[in-house]
Amino acid sequence: MQAMINKHFLIKVGMILGTVWFIWFANGHFDEYTVRILNNIAIFVILAVSYNLINGVTGQFSLEPNGFVAIGAYVTALLLISPDAKSYQYAIADPYPFVMTLQSNFVVALLLSGLLAMLLALVLSFPVFRVRGDYLAIVTLGFGFIIKILAINHPEVTNGSLGLNDIPEFSNLYWTGGLAIVAVVVILNIVNSKFGRAMKAVRDDEDAAIAMGVNTFKAKTLAFCTSAFFEGVGGGLLAALLTSISPDLFDFFFTFQLLIIIVLGGLGSTTGAIIGTVLVMGGSEWMRFLDEPMNLFGYETTAMPGMRMVVFSLVLIFIMLFAREGVMGKRELTDLFKSRKKGGK
Amino acid sequence: MKKLALLATSAAVLATFSYAKEINVGVVMAMSGPLAAYGQTTNEGIEFANSLQPKLKNGDTIKLILVDNKGDKVETANATTRLISSDKVVGILGALTSTNTSQVMAIAEKKSIPVIAPVATNDKLTENKNFASRVCFTDSFQGEVVANYAFKDLNLKTAVVVVDQAQVYSLGLAKAFKESFTKNGGKIVKEIKVSSGDKDFKAVVSQIKAANPDFLFLPMYHPEVSMIARQAKQIGLSKPMFSTDGVANQTFIDLGGDAVEGHMFTDFFDYGAPPTEKSKEFIAAYAKKTGKQEVNSFVALGADAYNVMVDAMNRCENPEDSICINNAIKSTVNFEGVSGVINLDKTGNSTRSAVIKVVTNGKAVYKSTVNP
Amino acid sequence: MFMQQMVNGFSLGSMYALIAIGYTMVYGVLRLINFAHGDIMMVGGFLGFFGMEVLGLPFVAAVLLAIVGAALLGMASDRVAYRPLREAPKISLLITAIGVSFFLENAFNVFFGGVPRAFPVPAYLEVMVEFFGLMMPMSAVIVPIMTAFLLSVILWILFKTKYGMAIRALAFDVGTVNLMGIDANRVITLVFGMGSALAAVGGIFWAVNYPSVEPMMGVLVGLKAFAAAVVGGIGSVGGAVLGGLIIGFTEVVVIAFFPELGGYKDAFAFIFLILILLFKPTGILGIDFEKSRF
Repeated sequence: MQAMINKHFLIKVGMILGTVWFIWFANGHFDEYTVRILNNIAIFVILAVSYNLINGVTGQFSLEPNGFVAIGAYVTALLLISPDAKSYQYAIADPYPFVMTLQSNFVVALLLSGLLAMLLALVLSFPVFRVRGDYLAIVTLGFGFIIKILAINHPEVTNGSLGLNDIPEFSNLYWTGGLAIVAVVVILNIVNSKFGRAMKAVRDDEDAAIAMGVNTFKAKTLAFCTSAFFEGVGGGLLAALLTSISPDLFDFFFTFQLLIIIVLGGLGSTTGAIIGTVLVMGGSEWMRFLDEPMNLFGYETTAMPGMRMVVFSLVLIFIMLFAREGVMGKRELTDLFKSRKKGGK
Repeated sequence: MKKLALLATSAAVLATFSYAKEINVGVVMAMSGPLAAYGQTTNEGIEFANSLQPKLKNGDTIKLILVDNKGDKVETANATTRLISSDKVVGILGALTSTNTSQVMAIAEKKSIPVIAPVATNDKLTENKNFASRVCFTDSFQGEVVANYAFKDLNLKTAVVVVDQAQVYSLGLAKAFKESFTKNGGKIVKEIKVSSGDKDFKAVVSQIKAANPDFLFLPMYHPEVSMIARQAKQIGLSKPMFSTDGVANQTFIDLGGDAVEGHMFTDFFDYGAPPTEKSKEFIAAYAKKTGKQEVNSFVALGADAYNVMVDAMNRCENPEDSICINNAIKSTVNFEGVSGVINLDKTGNSTRSAVIKVVTNGKAVYKSTVNP
Repeated sequence: MFMQQMVNGFSLGSMYALIAIGYTMVYGVLRLINFAHGDIMMVGGFLGFFGMEVLGLPFVAAVLLAIVGAALLGMASDRVAYRPLREAPKISLLITAIGVSFFLENAFNVFFGGVPRAFPVPAYLEVMVEFFGLMMPMSAVIVPIMTAFLLSVILWILFKTKYGMAIRALAFDVGTVNLMGIDANRVITLVFGMGSALAAVGGIFWAVNYPSVEPMMGVLVGLKAFAAAVVGGIGSVGGAVLGGLIIGFTEVVVIAFFPELGGYKDAFAFIFLILILLFKPTGILGIDFEKSRF
């Protein structure tokens, strides 16, 4: 028994070390385009594993990521843009004086992004978790809209629909990849803790969970706030990667993409969410051919821009209907080693 | 003898190689997603201009590499990085909207790759950027044109401005118009905010009717403007209305029907009154290929973004030297483009004419040209 | 002026109400937020458009085509995407609903283009009529009347027919309904058909009022209509109508009297929703489906 735990521990450490080595290697050897895609993947891994915590592990259908990512992105942007750059970019209204004084380093900016998102999640959890059912989905969907509307309507802070530009480019693979590792480790630890078991109990049978004395409100709120925190941090990383953000970036499509990722990877599996991210982020570049004219068995089709999205939505429906487990089901990558070992005996 | 022939052939092959290089120019455009209709139109102009003039003076061929950004910022960043690092483009045309274009420019700036925006009009776009240029005019210029024309030529003294606050485009125009119109001595009696996607403007038109201005300035895109015009007609509000290039398309007139008769708007160019020799040629070639004469402004501007880029490359000894191309773009003087005569300066903004059109009998009819 | 705004609000609210009824009925029997409902409304609008522009049908025939087409689409979506998941966790159902919604939006975008198309409104709906001293287009009068008529039809079906009794029974307990020898699946399909037919009427009214159709027209309207259904009390048809009217009125009145808040118009429905969840989770006329937890 002791040996098995040690072995699992070693596998995990090995995976982390492997990732660290890969980040180091990629930074030195890959071209910028590949590095950018890897940066996107790392950020989306953070978003996907945290989104999976509330949707997959706790089983509460929520559509919030775009709202919390937007908050994180704006907080980080406002804290990082130099006063000089702020002084010339406000096009629609003059910024409030306090906007000009906001300034911090990258770590503080990311932390504040996460904390603010978390605080909002806590506030939201009171109306939505008070009732059972699926109100969370519609409230979080509306919440995303409201955030976007607020960003558009407060040009004194957000520069309205033009968005914020000239954000210093702090994000690189060390930051995005490093924080992705942190997010995965933290979330896996939560999932495997007492709280994680409570979350899964809520998902599998809420009535039974209550009967067993699980505080379901606490479990749901913890899951929701943790996802919000990492979504805020991910938003901050995204802002510092793109160097320019605007409200239209954070529309519902952003959430839809994450939903596909976690469903494809297997709802409830954290490592599945990672695999889903790689598949979708890589796949959507690969699926560009769907938008272009195609030669189908000698029949030339015309270009159909947007076809990718149609295929994506069909993929989502088909996974739900015929392969609800996704790639990983509810298992984790480390479980694969476990079952293989058992099979060997 | 045989050896000599071989040598000659290989020399010739080498010569052709060194002469007829292929140079990559990137295009980042919204070919799918909500902005696809505009992106496809602009790209049509770029590609058509490329088919008319595919080679540089020195015989090098220009290869356009188009990447779709779906109108999304993350994809725009991916596309721009890919064009610069993998495709080694010497310059980029695009993107469509000001927010996406600023994303392209932010990345290209760091790599010293010139960007020419065909249709992004926000004033702030080129500020503090060395490698950013555009062939369209800015919002403030367009706002000024409307303000001056309405006040001086049409003698309209009071205005209601309806602004779409979800669009940078609309906000920039409204701001410039207000400044210029008040400076002339006009009065803004009311400003009303709406959001793109709104359909119900009954409350808005009732308010306008109550404010009773001389005319309405509606610097928005065609879906909202046509709705406002229709609902205004329903309640019997029949004041002159003025819009901007956001309504410069036939869909606007189809959507608006009778209600947009007499609606005035600014535009970049009119195919019925070609401003240069080059536009005549372009319109003729376009008519030959597509069977229609109606060259959309976005087609013309897309073509001019390409043409200005080619012209700048031709003026560089080494047409692959991005720094030189950028300097050449910014010293474009009296360039005869499809959409008019274009001058560019150090700021990257172009000085160019605008036209005013009016909807008459279901068609946009040329009314006059305004020079800067 | 004030009365004029009241009429505008009533007209807008009626349209929200028509769409909200479909949400509330589906939620009542399946506990499913049918995210695709707004898009079915969009399809209804498009079918009306095609009926008139392509097939050259008169307006009333095009409306019937839209109603039948949308009802079939609603029933088909249930058959294909929701019925196989009856026993699955509810989250799967919600995800497929999102998938169906995204599919309809994008498929229409790819095949018919994203540019709004002018909807051919028959002239007799655009004539101005005087109504209690107010001038308004015929359509503004017809929309509330049609809503009232359709509402009474729905209420008649629900409370006076055998099918209605089955639907109401289903809202209480699916298992027992099956035991009573009623094919629950058939009843659910019927509910989807009825809700979608109403959504199609809502879509046509929408297209008549703001004479255009485009693939994304159902997204925001659908969400607001759902918020309306929750505000009024999910599961209750009367509540859906009430909620729709409340949200329609608020949007019109707030812009009319506080124009500086115009930018927040789209947020009202959701703010109402959150307030209702905080203070009266069952909605104004709601039935307590799931007991509140504390």
